[in-house]
Amino acid sequence: MRRRSNIPSGVVGAPLDLRTQDEAKRQGCPSVVDGRLRTYAPGDNAGRFVDILGHRVSRPLAVSLAACVHCGLCAESCHYFLARPDDPTMTPVWKADQIRKIFKRHVDWTGRVAPWWVKAGSPRDDEDLNRLKNIVFGACSACRRCTYNCPMGVDTALLVRFARGLLTELGIVPEGVFNVSRDEWETGNQMAVTETDYLETLEWMRDELRSELGTDAVDIPVDKPDCEILYTINPREIKFDPRSIAHAARIFHAAGVSWTLPKRGWDQTNFGLFSGDDKLGGFVARNVYEAADRLRARRIVISECGHGYRSTRWEGYNWAGCDQKLPTESVVVTLKRLLEEGRIAVDRGRNPEPVTFHDSCNIARSGDLVEQPREVLRRVCADFREMHPNRRENFCCTGGGGLLSMAEYRPLRLEAGRIKADQLRATGASVVCTMCHNCIDGLADVIKHYRLPMRVVQVLELVSKALVLPGQP
Amino acid sequence: MSSLLKILENEVQIAALAFMGLVYSVRLAWVFRFKIGRDRTLPAGSGRSGTGYSLMSIAMPWAMESTRKRPGRYVEFVVFHLGVAAAIAASFIIPYGPGLFETAWVRASFQALIAAAGFVGLVRLARRLTDPVLRAISSPDDYFSLALLIFWLAAGVLAAPNRPQAGEGPLAAFFGLTAFFLVYVPFSKISHYLYYPFTRIYLGRALGHRGAWPPAAAKAAGARPAGEDAA
Repeated sequence: MRRRSNIPSGVVGAPLDLRTQDEAKRQGCPSVVDGRLRTYAPGDNAGRFVDILGHRVSRPLAVSLAACVHCGLCAESCHYFLARPDDPTMTPVWKADQIRKIFKRHVDWTGRVAPWWVKAGSPRDDEDLNRLKNIVFGACSACRRCTYNCPMGVDTALLVRFARGLLTELGIVPEGVFNVSRDEWETGNQMAVTETDYLETLEWMRDELRSELGTDAVDIPVDKPDCEILYTINPREIKFDPRSIAHAARIFHAAGVSWTLPKRGWDQTNFGLFSGDDKLGGFVARNVYEAADRLRARRIVISECGHGYRSTRWEGYNWAGCDQKLPTESVVVTLKRLLEEGRIAVDRGRNPEPVTFHDSCNIARSGDLVEQPREVLRRVCADFREMHPNRRENFCCTGGGGLLSMAEYRPLRLEAGRIKADQLRATGASVVCTMCHNCIDGLADVIKHYRLPMRVVQVLELVSKALVLPGQP
Repeated sequence: MSSLLKILENEVQIAALAFMGLVYSVRLAWVFRFKIGRDRTLPAGSGRSGTGYSLMSIAMPWAMESTRKRPGRYVEFVVFHLGVAAAIAASFIIPYGPGLFETAWVRASFQALIAAAGFVGLVRLARRLTDPVLRAISSPDDYFSLALLIFWLAAGVLAAPNRPQAGEGPLAAFFGLTAFFLVYVPFSKISHYLYYPFTRIYLGRALGHRGAWPPAAAKAAGARPAGEDAA
C-alpha cells in the first residue's frame, strides 16, 4: 500500500498514510472502537468495494454512470484541466470513468459481458483503491461546475462523493479526512473545540463588544429558549476568527433580533459532505436540528459557510432522515432581510475599496443563493464589481470538497488555483468577499501563492463595518 | 425488388425493432430497480420548473458555458442528430411511404441532411482519434458506434432514391445496417437517449427544488426568492 501509484498525471500518487488511523486504534478512540469511523484493514477490500457499490447505487447515480457519451465537453469547465490542458487525466470525464468502469464491470450488463468493449474494469487490489482515492479526493473539489456543463446532465460531483463514501467505508481516505471525521464524531464539531473553549471565546467576544459599544445590553446568548434565531457557526470562527461572531452579535443587537447560540449542536459544518459518509452527515446535522427543537427556536440561521449551508439547509435533513419544519437560512439572507426591513442602517462610504464577490460552489451551484449576497454588498460597498465568470459559473476557490484538510494534494490544488488567480486579478479589486470559511482559506492560499494585492473578507465583516449604530453620525 | 430485399425491408426490420423494444423494456426495468430517495427539505423553487428547464437545455446552447463557448460543437450536435433522425425516418419511408421520396426536393432534403450528419460524424471520428483528451476517454464502443453510424448514414444517402431496379446494393446495405443497429444500439453508447430524460429529470428536479434552476425565473414569476423561507 505504500508503493507509489502509477496514475498517469503523476501528481496524485500519494500513498495511503495510516499513521493517524493506527494511533486512533492504539488509543481506543470511541468512534473507531464502536465502528462509526472505519479504519483500513488489509484483505479483500476490492471485493468489498464492489459489494458496497452494488448495494448503494441510487437511481440518479445509476443513470449518471450509464449516460456519459464521452463527448469531452466537460473538460474545459474544470479548473484542474484548464490549469493542465495537456493532461487528459484532469478532465471530469476521465475521473468519473474511474468509478464508471467499476460500475460497468459489476452492475451494468454490457460491461459484464464484454468489459474490454466499454472499458469496464475491476479494482484489483488496495493499490487500485488508493489510486482511486487520490483521484476522487485529490484531483476534484466536487465543485459541480462540470455537472452544469454536461449536455447529458451527468452529475459527476455526485459520482465523486459516492466513490468517496465507498472508500471511507474501507478506511482508504486521506489522513486529513480521517482526522476531521474522528473529531466530528467524537466532539460534535470538526475542530474538536471543547465546550470550555467555545463558551470562553463567546464570553471574550461579548466582553469586547460591550467595551466597544459602551453598553452591557449587547450579548452573545447561549442556550436561550424561544428565540427568533438559533445561530449556528463554523468551528473555525471559534478557533481562528471569533470576530465574525462579534460582527453577527453587533448587527443582531443593532437590529433588536432575539437570538441565541446553542450550547450543543452549534457546528453547522459537516464533513460528511466531503467524506461521502451519510451517517456522519446525519449525525452532525441532527445535532443542529435537535438544538433548534430543544430551544424552541423559530428559525435556524447558518453563519457564512459554503458546505455548512449546503449541508444544514439541503443535504442534512435527508441524511438525518427528518423532514424540515423550521426555516433554515444563511445569515446573508438574514442580513438582507434586516436591511430591507430597515432594522439596520448602513453607510456604504465606510467600505470605499473596490470589492468583488466570490460565489461559493456549495452555495451557488449546489444551493440556491446567488443574488442575495450581491444585494447586500451593493448596499454596504461603495465600489462593488463582479468577477467573471460569476454566480453559478464561478470557479472554485480551490479549497472545495474538503481539500484544505488534505495537505498531500496542496501542490496540485495551488497549480489549479491559477484559474482563480487570473479571475481575481482581472477584477482590479483590492478586496474579495465570500460567504464561506473554506473559501476564505482557499482564496487566501491563492492570493499568497500568486502574490495578488488583495485581502479576503466576509459579508458580515463588511456589513458590520458599514453599520450605523443609533446615535452615531 | 428481390424477395430478399423485401424481407430485409420488412420482416427483418420489424423483428429487429421488436428485439430493441424488448431489450429497452428490460433496460428500463433495470433502471427502476435502483431506489430513489425523497427530498425532505422545504422547497426554495419548483422541481417541476427545474425539470422543464433541464430538459429544454438541449435547445438552449446559451445556457451552458460548454456550448456557449463552442457554438460549432452545438451546430455539429444539431446536424448530427437531425441527420440520424432523417435516416431513421427514411428506413420507414422507403418501405411504407415510398411516394414521399418521389418528390425530388423532399428526397434531396433528406439526402442533404443525412449527408451532412455523415460529414459531422467523420469530423467527430477524426477528433476522437486525434484529440488526446478524447482518445484517453474513448472505448472501442465509442469508435465502433461512430464508424458504424458514418457507414449507415452514407448508405442512407445512397438508398434514399429507392431504385432497386438500378441495383439493390445501397438499399440492402442501408437496411442491413439498420437491422444491425436496432439490435446493437441497446448495448452501446448510442442508447444514451434512453437515459437522457432520467439524468435531466433528476438533476432538474433537484436543482429546481433548491431554486437554482431555472435561473432567476422563480423570482420573475413573483415567487419567493430562493433561499428565503417563509417564516
